[in-house]
Amino acid sequence: MVDFLLNLLPHLLNGVALGLLFALLSLGFMLIIGVMEVINLAHGSLFALGAYFAVMLMGQDGGIPLAFMQSYYELPAVPRYIIALIVAPALVAVVGMGLEICLRRTYGKDPLYGLLLTFGAALVLEEVIREIWGPAEYFLPLPKAIRGGFFFGDMIYSNYRIFAAVFAMAMIGLLWAFLNRTPYGAVIKAGAHDSEMVRVLGYNLSRLRLYVFAFGAALAAIAGIIMAPIWGVRPHVGVDAVIPAFVVIVLGGVGSFWGAVSAGLLVGMVVALTAAFLTEWSLLSMYLLLLVVVTFRSRGFAGKASALEA
Amino acid sequence: MALFEARHLHKRFADQVVLEDITLSFEENQISGIMGPNGAGKTTCFNVLTGRYRPDRGTVFFDGKDITGLPPRKIARHGIARSFQMMNLFDEYTALENIVLALPEVSARGFSMTHNLAHDVDAQDRGAAVLARIGLGGREHTPASDLSYGQRRALEIGIALAAEPRMLFLDEPTSGLGTDATATLATLIQEIRKSVTIVIIEHDMKFLFDLADRIAVIHWGQVIAQGTPETLRENEWVRTSNLGALA
Amino acid sequence: MNSKSIRNLFTAPMLVSFLVFGTMPFWIDAIGLYQYLGLEVMIWVIFALAVNLLLGYTGLPSFGHGAFLGIGAYAFGLTQFNIAANLWVSLFGAVAATAVLGGLVAAFISHRRGIYFALMTIACAQIFFFIASKWTDVTGGEDGLLNIQRLPLDLGLAEISIKSNFNLYYLCFAAYVIIVVGMWRLVNSPFGKIITAIKQNDSRVAFLGYNVWLYKWIIFTLSCAISGLAGALFAMAQEGAYINIMSLQWSGIVILIVLIGGGFISFWGPVLGVIFYFLARDILGAYTEAWLLWFGLIFMLMVMFKPEGLAGIWQDAQLMFGRRKEAPQACPEPNHAGGD
Repeated sequence: MVDFLLNLLPHLLNGVALGLLFALLSLGFMLIIGVMEVINLAHGSLFALGAYFAVMLMGQDGGIPLAFMQSYYELPAVPRYIIALIVAPALVAVVGMGLEICLRRTYGKDPLYGLLLTFGAALVLEEVIREIWGPAEYFLPLPKAIRGGFFFGDMIYSNYRIFAAVFAMAMIGLLWAFLNRTPYGAVIKAGAHDSEMVRVLGYNLSRLRLYVFAFGAALAAIAGIIMAPIWGVRPHVGVDAVIPAFVVIVLGGVGSFWGAVSAGLLVGMVVALTAAFLTEWSLLSMYLLLLVVVTFRSRGFAGKASALEA
Repeated sequence: MALFEARHLHKRFADQVVLEDITLSFEENQISGIMGPNGAGKTTCFNVLTGRYRPDRGTVFFDGKDITGLPPRKIARHGIARSFQMMNLFDEYTALENIVLALPEVSARGFSMTHNLAHDVDAQDRGAAVLARIGLGGREHTPASDLSYGQRRALEIGIALAAEPRMLFLDEPTSGLGTDATATLATLIQEIRKSVTIVIIEHDMKFLFDLADRIAVIHWGQVIAQGTPETLRENEWVRTSNLGALA
Repeated sequence: MNSKSIRNLFTAPMLVSFLVFGTMPFWIDAIGLYQYLGLEVMIWVIFALAVNLLLGYTGLPSFGHGAFLGIGAYAFGLTQFNIAANLWVSLFGAVAATAVLGGLVAAFISHRRGIYFALMTIACAQIFFFIASKWTDVTGGEDGLLNIQRLPLDLGLAEISIKSNFNLYYLCFAAYVIIVVGMWRLVNSPFGKIITAIKQNDSRVAFLGYNVWLYKWIIFTLSCAISGLAGALFAMAQEGAYINIMSLQWSGIVILIVLIGGGFISFWGPVLGVIFYFLARDILGAYTEAWLLWFGLIFMLMVMFKPEGLAGIWQDAQLMFGRRKEAPQACPEPNHAGGD
């Protein structure tokens, strides 16, 4: 029994790392739902795009080198990685802003059109990725410090999973601090709660929506970069990413920060444990979880239920 | 027993009690009114009575049958129809198409997949008759989204009427209407009361006091007064409230 | 039948489509295209019409409908191999299997709409895709189900071989005619008017006494059955069943086709969309590999600026030339002129 539990520990660690990343992804998703009335089906594509930009910025050793950046690629891995973690999300934020501008035409209409537009955007982004980077799988090169593993008892633990968990936790903490301790965060929270009120208070609602979308996109990109060594970097990864984000907000409730975090951990655990015992089923487990959660969880959350319903 | 009876209805949302021990009865062929300030619970009450929400406690009886907690479609099948304050039309359809869908003979054949509805002369004629009754004769083929606000209000009521219900619940039917339109509406209600039992929620006290046989006043989720318009005029609370001027 | 009921059954656009599609094998080579393309067009038209019953008419976004096309294809092959190598039996097997699985999925999702509905259809499609690719014993896995035969058409008195693309095309055309005539009656019937009402305002429909869940269940299952038929025809066309059509990408393409064509405002939207798609694929595809990307961008632009699609543009043109009184809008804004 003790052996079984010890054998389980690395998988639990994976579950925590995965879960925290899902939470980060979902928090960005949630902020966007809060401030607009739109469910961004392209959120997963933004996640994927983040990974691809990071691969481009990491360059050699399995990445996608750009000819004019040769001298940049000569930098050691760690600064390149840090730059990737900053620049890639920034680039994706710009793409996010572009998407928000497109979405403006659908505000006020039947939400079906916003849904169709983000659906189209997801498809277009996936095709763009395929065009630029091709359909083959890439690997994100990592600095040596976070590669490899170590033994504890009889099991191998991945350094990277620990890094991923810690990093995700830090990002979630920063996000919480930003939302709850800064004036900008306060405006975003208010906007998520009641966008009309924010406009009445004198804030530029369109500007707010634009920035929140960019911010949500950046969060998705960061999650994508950290997830890249775990899930691989393929064009189709975008679809797989939007599912856990949705499951998390259905489970955790739209508008609940810690609800999203707990739900994220739950989903991460399910996926990681499935990967441990039934490897081929691990991605599918997310889809099954979605079916179960949506079937049995009736619409029991206040506020933005209408955005999700329609 | 009255045609429609609600007893000891209780409803809460999260930790907020919205309806507390509401008991109401509506007699057949009468016009009954419900009034009260905003946030008093009248709309929630209406929604419970018409099946949109289930009450936490209490019962609702129609014509001797227990309809508590039934979903809207089953309540509709019992012969109860309602209109909505926030207009709830089929905007892509014409006025006539909006009405025809509500006709009993159409809902009886709702699963027919081969019968051409637009060529069903009987249904189209009956629908046109309903439109004429609510003052939209001649607007049959206008898309609902192209009608004026007052016409949309009329259509809103017309859809409920087209179902030939025994009982009609009207949710703030004068909302947003000018004096002329309100007067037309009052005339329409006087005309249809001969065949339908009517319950109206209203803010416009003059409108309600002129039409209704009995009125219930709801405030703080409770029925605080009930009676004919005359008795209510004497009621202290009604007199001192700011609900609006009474002629 | 008197002339009025004939007019009920057939409309001008319908007859035009019969003429165009009915003669297509004769002129398709002449315009520089090829017979097999005609087959693909016919099959996709049937599939797109089925999808539009859900999207354009009922407002239900089924983003994983390709799964049902695939189920139809596999079921056709499996019936052929394991039950009877008879065309009618195999077609029936395909339609029945897809209807049953479609009904099962519909039971889970018919009380939903919008994003919930869409994501559930995606999840179901991925599950079916997974089963098809992993259940190698039955489906052939990644390789697919090979050697599906174009079984001869047994009409009792005579047996017609459909091995040639030409003959198979006319089988598909016959299916098209039957489906179009049936669907046209459906959308003009009380059932059809109610599902379109559900798209506009499903809660009001419930208040009128209709069982909205049941209507959605029926239309979804029906749409799946028709998709199953299209899948069976596709299996014969390809002489195999493969998992690629069950992918989300193909499911997405049919959604793009339906909207671009104008499925939201016209029965013929899906037909226009399919034609446009194949033109894009074969003509634009000759210039660039990224034609699907452009197709997707056109879709986004349409959603933003002209959700009425190609059919809407056609109707605008008719307006301009005085042939029609007013063009329907995909998402009308109510006129809020105050008072009366």
